[in-house]
Amino acid sequence: MAEEKIEKNPEIVGFACSYCTFKASEMAGSLRMKYPEGVKLIQVPCSSRVDPAFVIKAIFEGADGVFVAGCHPGDCHFIKGNYYTRRKIAALKEMFDAFSMKDKLRLFWVSAAEARRFVEKVTGMYNEIKEKKNAG
Amino acid sequence: MQGKKIKNGGIESALGHFLKDEQHLVFGFEKGKDNVSHHVFKDSLDHYAPLNPVFSANGALYLRRIFAKGAQIVLMLRPCEIRAYVELVKLTQIEREDVIAVSVDCLGTISSKEKTGNAPTDVDPLREYFKDPEKMRWACRVCRERRGVVGDAGIRIDKNGSLWAIPYTGKGETFLSLLEGDAEAVPEDMFIVSSGKTEKFQVDMETFSKDFSKCIMCMNCRDMCPVCYCIDCVFKGDEYLPKGDALLNKIFRTGSVDIPQGKELFHLIRMFHVSQTCVGCGACEEACPQGIPLTQYFKGISERLQGMFGYMSGRSFEEPIPYVTFLEEELKDAED
Repeated sequence: MAEEKIEKNPEIVGFACSYCTFKASEMAGSLRMKYPEGVKLIQVPCSSRVDPAFVIKAIFEGADGVFVAGCHPGDCHFIKGNYYTRRKIAALKEMFDAFSMKDKLRLFWVSAAEARRFVEKVTGMYNEIKEKKNAG
Repeated sequence: MQGKKIKNGGIESALGHFLKDEQHLVFGFEKGKDNVSHHVFKDSLDHYAPLNPVFSANGALYLRRIFAKGAQIVLMLRPCEIRAYVELVKLTQIEREDVIAVSVDCLGTISSKEKTGNAPTDVDPLREYFKDPEKMRWACRVCRERRGVVGDAGIRIDKNGSLWAIPYTGKGETFLSLLEGDAEAVPEDMFIVSSGKTEKFQVDMETFSKDFSKCIMCMNCRDMCPVCYCIDCVFKGDEYLPKGDALLNKIFRTGSVDIPQGKELFHLIRMFHVSQTCVGCGACEEACPQGIPLTQYFKGISERLQGMFGYMSGRSFEEPIPYVTFLEEELKDAED
């Protein structure tokens, strides 16, 4: 019997800033744009609320990828929150790079109006991770 | 640079003079019967040793407890301990006002797990002893900063083995005024020179998991880390581990799993949390009962992450810790 290859679907955890990226995801919904079901969003009050510990925990709990998304630098609702995010997540990426798992973490800037950009970014990430997961 | 050449017994007499005041203390090393250990001196300076060839714990760890307002304390510690002190000052864990931090050139140390009895404590025999770097702990062999150039003042060893006191801040000048003699130009080349660039740390998850599979989660590394200062640690209790429904869910989702012990989680999260403040002293490895090469990981990661921001932990009081500050125009390639 020919063994049929079961396609594995990755799970992605996303930390989305409630003032921009989460709004963008809601807008994507109301515009009937589709993004993969495997993407699970967690609403955070600001992207700088994301302690890198959350990201590491998500990966060890079984997430195939994690993204942190916030407003564009300079547009933070709390004036400077996402500047801190940028430093923290960039450092975390460097650390993941040292452990050869850099591809598991992404950082996006998506404003509340950029529903299309949100869908593109998320779908792109999902497909890349899915490809890797099914290849290995 | 101006400094004072220290005569034989100069440090002891200067500190002895300092201790005459009721409220004055000295935190340094005491030469015991078969070990050299941290000691707080009051009134007299018996068995004081400027150098300690045995590393058991980082002295800055005790400073979080020892502090009391009103008492003037002079710290006579190794550069790595003073650097941890500087980081703790920046993290508002220690108040700087009443402390004069003096870093003493470090010739290297041996692990307290080894036979420590026959290590000398004086400058010249110790220089001879550490001619063979294999005798040193790994953390000291690859140390970035063994020079006493941090804190308020430093005690440096020149090529002939004589000691020099050099002030770096106003408080350092106060310390220098205790010493006899006049200030003169300090020789350019010292015995301990700054170490070269270190290699970029790179490892894969398999090696990491293998190394840390021995971990028994005693958390001694966290407890003995001088810069791991949170009272409410994320790893207090077992809240960080999945249990009940969450654990069942994990099993049904991913198939049969090892019971999650959180070993890798604990070390990776701690590695990130101390990444900008880690001084690479190796106290974690010293405290580990399982002999995990913790220094290699923590030091490697922290050097990479500090390098990103051109930061070095404990280098100066003024440099802010990278995670609590930012520049508007930087890290343009951070976004994917």
